[in-house]
Amino acid sequence: MGLAQREIEAAGFSTIILSNIPDLTAAVSVPRIAAIEHPFGQNVGPAGDGETHLAVLRATLRALEEVREPGSVVHLPFEWPESAEAEHPHPPPPIVGYLLKHPLQVVKLIRRQVPAG
Amino acid sequence: MSKTVDSYRFVDGVTRRVVETWIKMEAPRPIPWTPLERPLSECTVALFTSGGIAMKGDVPFNQDGERQNPWWGDPSYRVIPRSATEQDVEVYHLHINHKYVLQDLNCQLPLRQLEAMEAAGEVGRAADSHYSIMGYLLQPEAMLQESIPAIVRRLKDERVDVVVLVPS
Repeated sequence: MGLAQREIEAAGFSTIILSNIPDLTAAVSVPRIAAIEHPFGQNVGPAGDGETHLAVLRATLRALEEVREPGSVVHLPFEWPESAEAEHPHPPPPIVGYLLKHPLQVVKLIRRQVPAG
Repeated sequence: MSKTVDSYRFVDGVTRRVVETWIKMEAPRPIPWTPLERPLSECTVALFTSGGIAMKGDVPFNQDGERQNPWWGDPSYRVIPRSATEQDVEVYHLHINHKYVLQDLNCQLPLRQLEAMEAAGEVGRAADSHYSIMGYLLQPEAMLQESIPAIVRRLKDERVDVVVLVPS
């Protein structure tokens, strides 16, 4: 998604990414990051918690307004509530089942050497 | 005390190792930059998620392709109109639990909150169209070469100023 952000910014739009893996997003040199410690699938906040969604969107847009230095990371202060659910998908993604059957292939994933389809 | 976000709070040990290695493989490169040229209260804002969200009745993201070849992901995109709710969408993304977006679309694509900010005058306008790709793309070239230029054309047509990306 960081690579998509770079293209959109380069096309003339001001962009910010609400990233929950900001270390990885920053590594691809994106213009602005709002870092958030929320799980995948609920980056903006727990399902049903519109108040948090509004606060997160507002904080993200404020960060976009305030950042002046390309590559800046603004760490948002939100804490994921203990009571909120964040289940993984089930069944697990196909790549997980594949790697359980072919454990040596994990090296290819780590090196991002995708086998020719 | 200001918070520092832990990138690994919600990932398992194997994923962490993969991500840490990917980070080391990236070299710094020039960062594109489009300054915000007017206050947000005058800007048109669009949202763009990689949550694999599509409108009901739209062509699904291809999950069978990934089931057959787990290294592959569908590089296409879908348009989500600003009026969309969780009643109107489906989720096609084998790496996240779908149930949260199907309960409440705003936890990944906060359209109602963007409309609230528009109503309050905090942003100029919520764009008519918002966008989704499916985020599991080990080879992002097709997405970058085909989907993003098409989205950019649409952003220009709708005179969007600001794009908020929500990865998944």
